[in-house]
Amino acid sequence: MSLRTPIPVIETERLILRGPRDADLPAYAQYFTTPRADFTGGQRGEVETYSMLMILAGHWHMRGYGLWVIEHRETGKTAGWTGILHHLDWPEPELGWAVFDGFEGQGLAHEAALAARAYAAGDLGIRAPISFIDPRNDRSAALATRLGATIEKRSELRGTPIDIWRHPDETEAAA
Amino acid sequence: MKIPTLHTERLTLRGPDARDIEPMRAFYASDRSRFVGGPRTAELAWRHLGTEIGHWTLRGYGRWMVEVTETGEIVGNVGLWNPEGWPEPEIGWDLFEGAEGKGYATEAALAARAYAYDVLGWTTVISLVKPANEASARVAARMGAFLDSEFTHERWGHMQVWRHPAPADIADGGMEAYS
Repeated sequence: MSLRTPIPVIETERLILRGPRDADLPAYAQYFTTPRADFTGGQRGEVETYSMLMILAGHWHMRGYGLWVIEHRETGKTAGWTGILHHLDWPEPELGWAVFDGFEGQGLAHEAALAARAYAAGDLGIRAPISFIDPRNDRSAALATRLGATIEKRSELRGTPIDIWRHPDETEAAA
Repeated sequence: MKIPTLHTERLTLRGPDARDIEPMRAFYASDRSRFVGGPRTAELAWRHLGTEIGHWTLRGYGRWMVEVTETGEIVGNVGLWNPEGWPEPEIGWDLFEGAEGKGYATEAALAARAYAYDVLGWTTVISLVKPANEASARVAARMGAFLDSEFTHERWGHMQVWRHPAPADIADGGMEAYS
């Protein structure tokens, strides 16, 4: 049998969104040794990072959607992730994003998240998703605002305070 | 990624997918999971199933869900495992509640080993066994493996390394013997 969900590939102006690969490990592992990872589940070593990569790849097949790896078209480098996560302990599907060191400040996360959100609304029927954002993560909050999201409430995720942001329903906006 | 299905005399080994959420939850809720990181919550069992599927996508091989061919009952999770942090590629077997004592683990693991040697071309393979897990050590011994060394994993702790006989040392090896 084959895994039911071939992970779709999305191309934007500067990025390719695609499924995770073994070769993405070094870029993920590097990110997860930096303090920026405190906002996305916490810093961890390579073994735990690989375990997380396996779960993210498996998520696609358990849910039918998941997180893409953001590949930077020009350099071919692994630049971050975006997509829809719905772990068992998530209240509903979430739009998430992160860009790795060296890829910030160029609007890449915005470009990637917009494409992921449009795919979710159009192909998955997931409209007006939430985003979990650590209250200390100003950059991510700024991007959420730029994406038209607003804070719905302060909550808690796996024992840490988290803001739940709500995205606009793009299908309504287009209608 | 296409996960091959293997057949043995009594068992079907197929790729893990979303239908395995409940059996995986039940296994990790049971005491039988005590040698492989359990018991664990439903949420962690769900994530574990994710790693089982994800290993296939990332490595190109992995562990199968084991069904009794005649009844369709899911009795375990057996196959090839080599995530980051593993000492070398491994054959592992988890047998679910009520499936023990019937030789299923050995039968499925032999098919997995034949796949590793005959299809993937591996020249050696190990099995990691928790020192207190006597039932698992017996499966390794029955497969002709011997206690080779020890290994400590940062998350899973101390384990025995059992080394399987090389392909040339298996008299009646070969996929056809198990299919």
